[in-house]
This record gives sequence, C-alpha cells and structure tokens, in this order.
Amino acid sequence: MPLDTSTYNLALLRVDGRRWNELRRVHAQIRTQAAADGSSYLEMGHTKVMCVVTGPSEPGPRRGTGGGGAGGAGAGGAAEVVVSIVIAGFSSVDRKRHGRGDKRTLELQSTVANALAASLHIHLFPHSQVNISLHVLSQDGSLLAALINAAALACVDAGIPMTDYVAACTAGSTSTYAANDEGADPLLDLNHQEEQELPGLTVATLGESDRVVVLVCESRVQVSRLEGMLAVGVDGCKQVREILDRVVREKGRRMVQEGTVEKGIGLNEMDVD
Amino acid sequence: MPITILAPRPSRPTRKHPQEDASVTSDTDSEAGGVDLDGDLPMTTTRPSKRARLNTTTTQSTAAFEIVTPGEIITDDPQWMRGHGTYVTPSTTAITSSVAGTMTRTNKLLSVRPLRARYTPEVGDLVVGRIVEVQAKRWRVDVGSTQLASLPLSAINLPGGILRKRTETDELQIRTFFAEGDLLVAEVQQLFADGGAVLHTRSLKYGKLRNGVFVAVSGTGGGGGVVRSRRQVWTMEAANGGGLVDVVLGVNGYVWISKHVETPEAGADSSSSSKAAAGITNMEESVSTTMYSSQNDRIEVEAMREIARLRGVVTALVENGLRVDEDMVVRGYHEAVEMAMVSAEGPDDIYLGGERGQQLAAALRGA
Repeated sequence: MPLDTSTYNLALLRVDGRRWNELRRVHAQIRTQAAADGSSYLEMGHTKVMCVVTGPSEPGPRRGTGGGGAGGAGAGGAAEVVVSIVIAGFSSVDRKRHGRGDKRTLELQSTVANALAASLHIHLFPHSQVNISLHVLSQDGSLLAALINAAALACVDAGIPMTDYVAACTAGSTSTYAANDEGADPLLDLNHQEEQELPGLTVATLGESDRVVVLVCESRVQVSRLEGMLAVGVDGCKQVREILDRVVREKGRRMVQEGTVEKGIGLNEMDVD
Repeated sequence: MPITILAPRPSRPTRKHPQEDASVTSDTDSEAGGVDLDGDLPMTTTRPSKRARLNTTTTQSTAAFEIVTPGEIITDDPQWMRGHGTYVTPSTTAITSSVAGTMTRTNKLLSVRPLRARYTPEVGDLVVGRIVEVQAKRWRVDVGSTQLASLPLSAINLPGGILRKRTETDELQIRTFFAEGDLLVAEVQQLFADGGAVLHTRSLKYGKLRNGVFVAVSGTGGGGGVVRSRRQVWTMEAANGGGLVDVVLGVNGYVWISKHVETPEAGADSSSSSKAAAGITNMEESVSTTMYSSQNDRIEVEAMREIARLRGVVTALVENGLRVDEDMVVRGYHEAVEMAMVSAEGPDDIYLGGERGQQLAAALRGA
C-alpha cells in the first residue's frame, strides 16, 4: 500500500500521527548487564536494540576475514573497534534468518565500527581491542541510527574516552522519487513503512557540532531535496544527543547520590581561588 | 499547502538544571523548535555555558551530584592543565571531558574520573590474576586491564632458595610453577609506556593461590569496586567454627577468599619437630615445594561455608554499590553472621542475594 500522501497534505500528520519534525519516543538505559564492561538498551519507537561492550582488552586469536568483525582502525598503535551485529529472527514482521555472512549485516557492522572509531580515543589503548556486540530485538525503521546510538551509549558506560557522543537519526521526504515533487517536505525519524516507500537517509553527527560522521542514503532522491533532509537529520541528531546525555547524567547522578562514586568538585569551588 | 512551522513542543518534559533557571543570560535558543531550511540551524543546547554557571550561586548539594559527560566543555580558561579523562580540541584552549564521570582537581590539573572503567595498573598495586598463556621465559596474566600483564620467570621465587638465578632447567619446567588457569597474587613492578604491566611475586606474601574461591568485582573505576587502601590482605577469624580465613582484595577488582594455611615455618615447628631440626635449607625447600602446589589442603565443611558467606558479602556489597575494603567486608561479614543466626536455617543460611543483600547493605549504610 503506498503511503497516502494526500492525507499528509490534509492534516500534516504522518501515518503514525507524528508531525514532520517529531522524533519517535526514545527510551534508553545504560548499565543493563552487570557483568559487561559497558552495556545499553535503546528503543527508538519500536526499534529495539541491546548493546554490550567488552574492552578495551587484549585481542583474542585472529579470526579469518570472513568473520563477523569489522575493523575500525588499523592495529598500528591504536585499539581496534570490532562490531558484531546479531539480528534476531523474530525482529521483523516476516520471520527471516540472517546468516553471519549477510552482506547487509556486514555493511552495518563496518559503518558502526567506523563511526565509533572516529569518536573514540582509541590511540590511548594500543595493542587492544574494543568489542561491541549489538543485538537487534525488534525492527521498525531507522535500524542503523538505533545501532549507532546504542553503541555510543554502551561505550560511554564502558568508560572509553571519546571526543563526544555519536548520535544518529534518519530523515526522509514526504513524496517518492517518481513523484518528482519540488515542494516535498522533509521528515524526521522514519519508521519502517515510511522507510519502505519514501526516500530517506541516515545521518550521524559528532555531539553538538554539525560534523557529520555517517551519512548513508540508499534510495533515489532529487538533489534539491537533499539539503532539507540533511538539515532536518542533523537537527534530529542534536535532539537524540540530548536524550542520550540525559540518560547518562541521570545514571551518574544516582550513582553519586548513592555513594558508589565519590563526589566531584564543582566548577564554582574550582574558580574560587 | 505550505508547511506551517508549529510552536515548539518539547519531546519530553525538560527538567532544567537549577543553574539554567537562575541564569538570566541563558540563551533563548531552546524556545525555538524545528529547522530553518536556510541551513541556519537553531542550537537547542541545554548545556549551560561556563559563564552562566559561574555567575549563578548554585546550592552546593545539587552541584556536587552532577557529573560531566563526553563532549562537555569543562573550562576554556587557559590556566588549567588537562589530566586523564579530558582532551583539548586543537586550536582552542577549552578543556573538554572525554568520559562520563566526576571531576577531580590536583592543583592546576583537571581530570575526570570515569563512573566505570577497566583497571589501569600502577606500580606497587597488589593484584590477583589468572595465567592465560605460558611463553618461553614469562607468563601472560589476566589482571582485568586493557592488556595482559606479564610475569617474567626471573620475577618469581624459584624453588631451592629465595634468591637464586634462573637457569635453563627452570625455563624448561616453566609449567611446573604456573600453568594456564592458575591464580596468583602479585605486585605490579613496572609499567610500559603503552600501559602494559610487569608483575613480580618475589615475596612470601605473593604467589600461587589455592584453598579458596575467586570473585571478580568491577574494577577501581567505580561501580563499587575495590579501592586502593592501606591493607588489601588480611586474615580474619570466621564465625561458627570456620577457623581462620584469608581475604585478598586485588586492586584490579579480583578477590580471593581462602582458608588460612599456616606458613611452612610455623607449620614445621608445630607439626613435626623432626623436620624443624633439619635446618634452614630444608625449610626453604619445603617452602618451595608447597608454594607451587596446585593441590588443595583438606578444608572442613564449616570453613567452606564461611568462605562462601564471605563471598556472598563481597558480591552483595558490589550489587548494592558499596565500596569493597577491609572495614566493609569485615563489618558486612559480622552482619551476615547475625542475619543467619536469626533466620530459620541458622548458620547454614548463606544466601545474601536479592532482598537479603539489600538488607545487609542497609545495615552497613546505617552503621
């Protein structure tokens, strides 16, 4: 069923009742697995992802190139970021088996690994490896964005130094490529149905800056629409960053209050002398 | 129909920091929602600027619970030096946090202690480790750090005298001292520039571990781990006829709890007087033969039960976010013994998970 664009024009509401510039509900948790170095759980709408980070630790025995790993950086003096993604068979509407060597999964792995390797200060950990294991529990569009966000949160939890959060989200356009509609509006955070029918892109930025670290567009779209989509996407990334930051701060505040972590000094006290 | 830019609607209730509310100069950008398609993006920043923070008088209690997160600019004043957990963006003087954690200051040095991180070795640390690899002249030891630590053959007490040069025979028999999977307690002797550690066990305090149980708690980075303290190893009297129990708290978050075994010198005096007469060389030999034995001594059921109870105390401390040190473990143990006394099963009740763990933690916090 094609997306009823006429309805959108009447009420300016999307199929799930959102406006063009609204994100879906984002729910995130960190430190979900006590035994792991870092872990997180992230929901963007109905896309649900779990992440576990191990390391930086001594790299295990070298695997063959056919394995599920994706190197973020060379071993020369810096840690290697290895991402493995498991997509559960029950995650989407039609039950599907995703093999280890699935080309789509491999591409997701290398995109996430490269995005995080750009932000993590891996040069501080030579001869070691950061293992990021992602499990997709439910898919409803914006999968790559959810994977990047979950991995970034888990890396913060693992205490791996990084330049800033890598926050990602998707952006699309209200009419299809074939419609060639000049006046099409950009959309923020596509769900599965929109992703199927409308042109869309995934964008990830480094923290609050406008620096784009990931930009993936797998559909045909007129170049005139691209700028608007990108602007909406970058703005969405900033909103996502705020949400992720709030989750970390909340957890940190609770830990300090409970006395798990010693209190820090405030800037006020610091600037007194 | 053209798009109407709608009034901003926060996607979630914004719970502002008290600093922001108080700051008059707080930018009004957060009032603007949506996107300007001219490429001029409104910066919806909720991070208060440094100046705003300095101008306002915040209550110390709320500020003290605040943490810094990656990408947060700590200060742009060039008088400060950056320490661990921070970085300086090229072409600016702003010191930015790179981890989520609490800030510490040593004179002019600013550093951020992460909420949790892997153990970073320091010279002199007492660590508990597990051998993972045996090489020609050294062992590789897992100490929970970013890299495996190495233990050279020359840095252990070789049999037949404490101070002896290592020989080729020792190299050939390297597995008789430590084999893969063996646990040991050691001290960090030296650090490499890349963060790798070299261990040594050249003291009778250190060496192979047996007669006990291993517990791994998260490291020093936080999360209620083991803290560096004056005493990391102690012997305590266990309740309910458990005898003496040794506890080793490795700084790396690995803990060893074992039955206390008399040191061979003392053992030689008490058990067999004939051996005591054999002289000092014989004693040293007996030291070395027992030192690398992987055979457990006989452990009474009572001792096992009390060791298990101590283990339960350590995991309960970690689960409830309390620090693990001698004081807490000893007090926690006595508390646990009391709790077992009043329970229906009596001293055999060693369960300290879930609600009972919380009860224990509450008792320790209250005391």
